[in-house]
Amino acid sequence: MSDCRIQLTINGQQTSVEAPPMKRLLDVLREDLDLTGTKEGCGEGECGSCSVRMNGELVNSCMVPILQAHGAHIETVESLAIDAELHPLQKAFLECGGAQCGICTPGMLMAATHLIAHNPNPSLEQIREGLAGNLCRCTGFIKIFDSVITAAAMEGSRTHAR
Amino acid sequence: MPDAALYTPTAIIGSELPRIDGPLKTSGTAMYAADYHFPHLVHGVPVTSTVAAGKIRSIDTSAAEKMPGVLLVITHDNVGPLFRMAPGGHDGRTSESRPPLEDDIVRYWGQYVAMVVAETIEQAQIAAHAIKVDYDPSSFNVSKVLDDSPTEELPLHTESKRGDAISAFASAPVKIDQTYVTPAETHNPMEMHATVAVWNNPKFTLYETTQGVMNHQHVMAETLGVPRENIQVITRFLGSGFGGKLFPWPHSALAAAAARQLNRPVKVSTNRQMMFQNVGHRPRTQQHMQFSATPDGKLVSLRHDYRNHTNLGDDIHENCGEATPFIYSVPNLLLTSALVRRNVGTPTPMRGPGAVPGLFAVESAMDELAIALKMDPVEFRLKNDTLTDESNGKPFSSRHLKECLQLGSEKFGWSKRNPKVGSMCKPGDPDVILGWGVAAASWGAGHGPCQASVALLNDGTARVSCGTQDVGTGTYTIFAQIVSDRTGIPIDKVRVVIGDSALPPGPTSGGSTCTATVLPAIAEATDNAIKVALATAATAKDSPFHGKKPDGLAFHEARVHLEDRPASTGTPYQQLLKMANIDAANGEGSTSALNSNPEARKYSTHSFGAQFIEVEWDPGIARLRVSRVVSVIDGGRMINKKTAENQILGAVVMGIGMGMLEETIYTPKTGQPLNSNYADYMVPTHADSPSIEVHFIEYPDPILGEYGARGIGEIGLAGVAPAITAAVYHATGVRVRELPVRIERLMQSTVQV
Repeated sequence: MSDCRIQLTINGQQTSVEAPPMKRLLDVLREDLDLTGTKEGCGEGECGSCSVRMNGELVNSCMVPILQAHGAHIETVESLAIDAELHPLQKAFLECGGAQCGICTPGMLMAATHLIAHNPNPSLEQIREGLAGNLCRCTGFIKIFDSVITAAAMEGSRTHAR
Repeated sequence: MPDAALYTPTAIIGSELPRIDGPLKTSGTAMYAADYHFPHLVHGVPVTSTVAAGKIRSIDTSAAEKMPGVLLVITHDNVGPLFRMAPGGHDGRTSESRPPLEDDIVRYWGQYVAMVVAETIEQAQIAAHAIKVDYDPSSFNVSKVLDDSPTEELPLHTESKRGDAISAFASAPVKIDQTYVTPAETHNPMEMHATVAVWNNPKFTLYETTQGVMNHQHVMAETLGVPRENIQVITRFLGSGFGGKLFPWPHSALAAAAARQLNRPVKVSTNRQMMFQNVGHRPRTQQHMQFSATPDGKLVSLRHDYRNHTNLGDDIHENCGEATPFIYSVPNLLLTSALVRRNVGTPTPMRGPGAVPGLFAVESAMDELAIALKMDPVEFRLKNDTLTDESNGKPFSSRHLKECLQLGSEKFGWSKRNPKVGSMCKPGDPDVILGWGVAAASWGAGHGPCQASVALLNDGTARVSCGTQDVGTGTYTIFAQIVSDRTGIPIDKVRVVIGDSALPPGPTSGGSTCTATVLPAIAEATDNAIKVALATAATAKDSPFHGKKPDGLAFHEARVHLEDRPASTGTPYQQLLKMANIDAANGEGSTSALNSNPEARKYSTHSFGAQFIEVEWDPGIARLRVSRVVSVIDGGRMINKKTAENQILGAVVMGIGMGMLEETIYTPKTGQPLNSNYADYMVPTHADSPSIEVHFIEYPDPILGEYGARGIGEIGLAGVAPAITAAVYHATGVRVRELPVRIERLMQSTVQV
């Protein structure tokens, strides 16, 4: 299968990659663009570790062939902090203990960003539902709820979330 | 109380300091093994067996070898030298003793039989599918029933014995005689195992998913047949392990072998299916329990006889009797075990190995016996509490199980429990029945040897280093806390360097021993660095302390000062180092193994806890949910309350998985672990997470060191599953003795709302 040229916008920057059309968006991010913040947890769309936003929708990047991302706007965990200033969600995850071993954290943050972008003050049940596609094996989830609630309460969360 | 000195730390010890690696983790910049890329890196994809037992007749690699990008196909014919660990060695441990591709025999479904290496992961995956393996299959055994009789090869072991448990049981007035079963469980850390092997003749650098960089170095040196100094293992961050990453697994040797053959960096990552096959699991256990008591609730006898399955080549013992000999006072006890072989992948420790499945049986039997006695299960446990380890006559260094049960009862509201089955309803929802259950928890405490280095640098920062790793628990953070505690250097000026086998040898992160192991070494290294700083202050030409005796000087708040004057009158240490043109005041420290300390050998050292659990049972729609947990932990001093609470919360939720969801199912048709993905092997999700309260009963344990910290990575999982099944019985009247609780079992409930 010959490579194709894919144009896409990653974290606000226009980029072009040469890749086999069925190469996973996850691998393009991690290998071709060195954006290793996005993690692989299962490769089957079950765990959400590789969550990114694509044209404003939350997707599992392990399930997106790069051909499908042609012309798309992709946001990864690397987009959250601006000039090293952490996003309120990132601050809340580290203050509240929402990040423990940290491997699900980037995907969890993208799901939480997506949730708050649509619902600035989610209830506990809405957080459970909003993060339903993201597994964590080490925190017990409680501190992730606390993190999202804390972030939602932080001033500037609403305007910062894109 | 033991006669040993405790130290009074500053407020940073026991604080709720957020983990210092949090900014890296939340920004996606923390580097995990699979994140490493190098120029000319290539990818290895293993081929796994599709039979559970047999011999490989032939492997046809011809089509794969012609495919684009394929560089190498490794089979048992050309893998090159990979060696076994020498027997009797104590300095490197692994579960699967057979190096990959050692012979043409298949012993379990999914065993690696070949590996393709190609320029890209896609090319390697496609070529791996093109490998044709012809097997001569033989019969296999993955039976769930572990009734096999002990043999000469796998004999019955007597692990602990006192009195005469068999005749005492026969004549006892109240007794329970039941068998409890725990299934094979898969660790399933979110981060899949991976190795990036870089060969730079004669040296290997291995970027690994390991809970023990030093152990990994030792094992890989023997496996690859090279001196230790030619292996460097790096694990800067680990996406959890739960025991599954304690020891090296075959993909690591395959990656290294391929890198050596190709002279290029090779990455091998398992996929989620391989996580169920090739990197260990908690073995299935079957435990026969005979417990008896007097009518007023004093234990008369405990008999615990258990089996666990192991693989075809390794005798992996799941130590289910870990807590049985000492958790309660009982005059007659017999603990026996034997192994049973199955065609399954290699078992390995999983969080609370032995004790966690063992306590499921012990605490379930205790609950059943309390019911037979018509006694409250908390009261029954209190009545049989002991401050002496009756298996060896030693006092416990620090045991507060009684307080755990009492505090848990109070916080949970246990006094409001009506013991009648199905008698309690959810407030405001009469269709939902509540069940309340309790169980005790225990896990061993100890520490091993360790070395650490501390440098107090002339730029006002400190560096602490040790060849251990942070598996997600908070090890980075407690290193910084100890240095800050002893020097007053602010936490954000302490740089922690771990996760590299080239550093001073440190411990594996396992058995909840890492914290207790590293603390004395860091403390001593810090104190020795301080001594160097004081000596510098006393000798540097322009120092205000020039000519003073170093013993008259002290080091606090990052300043050197006269011992009888406040720290604020002192001089910042970095100024003194600069005056002397010294880069750093360096100190080394070490910890020796706990059992080398004669004082410690006088005591039995364990952590304890109590789990109180509420379930909601909605019989109308057959829905069961854990709704509320109170977990009380007696684990010595907590160095960091935030990371400690994190550990217990995560462990409790893993216990909900063990109790309600998790089982690796080996199909009798092929021997394959059938549910080898996150959709079919269910782990707890956000929706399963109940309200959880964690309480620490903090009695610093001086036998474990001057900080009095025991480990807490595992204790939070102990007791959760039996408390769930006790609560399920209370709600439904159905006693589940085989985990996990399945809804179809609860359909036998006759409880009506």
